[in-house]
Amino acid sequence: MPKLLDIQGLRVHFETLDGPVEALHSVSLSVNEGEIMGVVGESGCGKSVTSLVTIGLATCDVDDGSITFDGDELIQKTPQRTQRILSFLKYFSSFFTLGLILSLFWTFLEPIQGLQISAVMLIAFSTCFVSTRILDAPRSKHEKFMRSIRGNKISMIFQEPMTALNPLYTVEKQVAEVLKQHNRLDEADTNSAMKIGKAIISPAEMSVHFFRNDWRGALPIIITSLVILAIHQTDNADSILRLIANQYAAIGFLVLLLNLIFWNIFTGNIDFTETTLMEPIEEGPVTITSGIRLVSNWANSNFALIFVSWLVIIVLLWIPFGVLMTIILSVAILTVPPIQISNYFRLDSAHTRQVVKILKEVKIPNPESVVKMYPHELSGGMRQRVMIAMMMACEPKLLIADEPTTALDVTIQAQILKLMKDLRDREGTAIMMITHDLGVIAETCDTVTVMYAGRVVETASVTELFANPQHAYTRGLIACTPSLSSERKSILPAIPGQVANPSDFVEGCRFCQRMERTGETLLKIPDYKEISPGHWVEMCPICLDANEDRWE
Amino acid sequence: MSDEEEILIEAKNLKKYFPIKSGMFSSVKANVRAVDGVDFKIKRGEVFGIVGESGCGKTTLGRLILRLIPITEGSIHYLGSNIQDMRNAELRRKMQIVFQDPGGSMNPRMSVRSIIGEPLIVNGLADGAELTKKVGELLEIVGLKPNHMTRFPHEFSGGQKQRIALARALSLDPEFILLDEPTSALDVSVQAQVLNLLQSIQKERSLTFVFIAHDLAVVRHISDRVAVMYLGKIVEMADADEIYNNPKHAYTKALISAIPKPDPSSLVDREVLSGDVPSPVNPPPGCAFGHRVSHPKYPDSINVDLSLVEVAPNHWVQPCPCCTEI
Repeated sequence: MPKLLDIQGLRVHFETLDGPVEALHSVSLSVNEGEIMGVVGESGCGKSVTSLVTIGLATCDVDDGSITFDGDELIQKTPQRTQRILSFLKYFSSFFTLGLILSLFWTFLEPIQGLQISAVMLIAFSTCFVSTRILDAPRSKHEKFMRSIRGNKISMIFQEPMTALNPLYTVEKQVAEVLKQHNRLDEADTNSAMKIGKAIISPAEMSVHFFRNDWRGALPIIITSLVILAIHQTDNADSILRLIANQYAAIGFLVLLLNLIFWNIFTGNIDFTETTLMEPIEEGPVTITSGIRLVSNWANSNFALIFVSWLVIIVLLWIPFGVLMTIILSVAILTVPPIQISNYFRLDSAHTRQVVKILKEVKIPNPESVVKMYPHELSGGMRQRVMIAMMMACEPKLLIADEPTTALDVTIQAQILKLMKDLRDREGTAIMMITHDLGVIAETCDTVTVMYAGRVVETASVTELFANPQHAYTRGLIACTPSLSSERKSILPAIPGQVANPSDFVEGCRFCQRMERTGETLLKIPDYKEISPGHWVEMCPICLDANEDRWE
Repeated sequence: MSDEEEILIEAKNLKKYFPIKSGMFSSVKANVRAVDGVDFKIKRGEVFGIVGESGCGKTTLGRLILRLIPITEGSIHYLGSNIQDMRNAELRRKMQIVFQDPGGSMNPRMSVRSIIGEPLIVNGLADGAELTKKVGELLEIVGLKPNHMTRFPHEFSGGQKQRIALARALSLDPEFILLDEPTSALDVSVQAQVLNLLQSIQKERSLTFVFIAHDLAVVRHISDRVAVMYLGKIVEMADADEIYNNPKHAYTKALISAIPKPDPSSLVDREVLSGDVPSPVNPPPGCAFGHRVSHPKYPDSINVDLSLVEVAPNHWVQPCPCCTEI
């Protein structure tokens, strides 16, 4: 199979306050077309950095190496000299901008001289600006190229879906945004001119919408408004207000009384806010007790509504008719247009259909309602599915999954892994699966790369790696995973210590450093050799020897 | 284990409902039935594992055992006395907890000495030089060095933080520790270190553990007995080997088959459980798991008493007609 992604000798470093820290030290790995490649290692081994450098999102500096994706080079190095000239130009242009502003002030004192200086400054600034653009052109062109690749040909799933999704937008908007960025949206049902026209000419659309959705719920509002209108027309509003206000006051107090006394006596509950556990009313003949209980039950649950509607009706009757109409009209004029305009920004129905289709592909149940939801309304597994749907929307050739199931339950993890395997089988997408769980690797991957402390220590096909692990780190990772077949309550063979701080890395074998060995292996970089077809190992003599393993 | 052994903790028909309030005066609209009628006994010196998916009420159950949240119904007895009637100081000296997220359960502004020493100071057990000595001993027990005492939580890795949390739990020399997903935030190699540490401490001090996790392989490794929870109820409870070799309930089987096995040669196409745990606000009547997988025999389970029955010695299971084969 041809290589889709090929990383050769990648070296990157992070600039820190304590000087540069090398995060990756000549990493070489490749992903073939249509295969699932697992990258395994502990936290701090450089797995995520490798993937972030690949899609150009890392904040580190690349020193050396190349990343080839589908024949294109993804890393572009700006020559040192160009960088220096660019930083000089930056200083100069800010100096000339300051000069331009000062010379404009000078024109107030000496008009002709000031204008002359301004012109000179303007010319100098423009020269700086243009030369910066020319020198910077390759970099910005590369950035544009990376933007067209990211999400389109290579996409990435992150570990925690809640932080990767925007909590303020619905699912459909977020999925459609990817499609819009890469010009893959279907043709819209309505064009924008029609949308604007609609928004302007139909200000009543919103209220129609409201009544159409739930006309039964709207009936009390319609009837109340009609009655109030009629009362105002008869010029008897004052006397009716007095009548209704008294009646309503009585009802309000009755409700309060029922609520406070009877309900609490029946439930034996003293705490007013904790009148809870809506016990069902027993079936049977209606007695006075059960009647009171029924009414007080209803009153308790609707107490706030009754109280507020009483207030609203009194206010509506109390305000003179002309003033009332003025208020209603001005509120309508002020609120309806903004709502209409926000309607204009709503997703087109054709695009919603497209998003629903994509969500169906990742087996989200009931996608028509899920597209209208916000991320917090979804469970962890569903969020990760939405994330996968978003990343698969443009049918990428390579999907980088950075610990996609670490935050999920075992059952949901099984679902997500099955989904990703199905996608690979159906669409032929290559997947780079980053994880620290060897169980996940064994279940899904075709080939495995084991990383330790910024280096690749072993690469092999998955069966070869588990049957014949060569490097001590691989053996340690396999041994320390508890499985259903291991002896219960036995001491797990754990790798002692932890990955060293990147600033303390030795030049030679870093696993020997962790095992606190001394000697030559710490000084010389071990060779990375192919010992059998497709099986590459870092040839540290001590780490290759299984008898030297010292697990805790 | 024989019945003569001392029962440390006993839960009887334990329930916890969280009311959902809404409206102006916070009237209660519905209840989240997080724990819905749970009975179990934990013997002294055993490790009791609780497994289940998120939203099954594992953590709520753990917090109920420690009286961190009030109980809605039912009771928990610690050595025969109801924990509701016990004094706070007395209870906390005997029962301790290690939380899931080691970073989130520590004050970032406190040094390790004050974090581990705080329970000792609050209970008036040690102070000054004596406290320093005691904290040093505790740090050595959990595999850290006494000179780590002056550092702050952010200077430690996840595994080391979990060790500090364990040292804090051990500081009052309790009889019982609740471990709420202590290893799910850790790497596999660090997880192995922490599990080894937990086992050796449990053996040395003959502590009683409740181990909550969603990884069945880990729970099996450390536990003597395992309870499987689904939607606020225990659906199966047995000795660890028994429950893995001979699962009776369909949910237990599904959980066991979902564990990824680190062995590519034994791959079988397993059945993947679809969907999520349903909302515990309005749980379906009868067997909740039969409802989730829409089992053909599910309607039969609605009118059946679903309290646990003992099908084999020490093997308890929910006797529903759809999910259990007895």
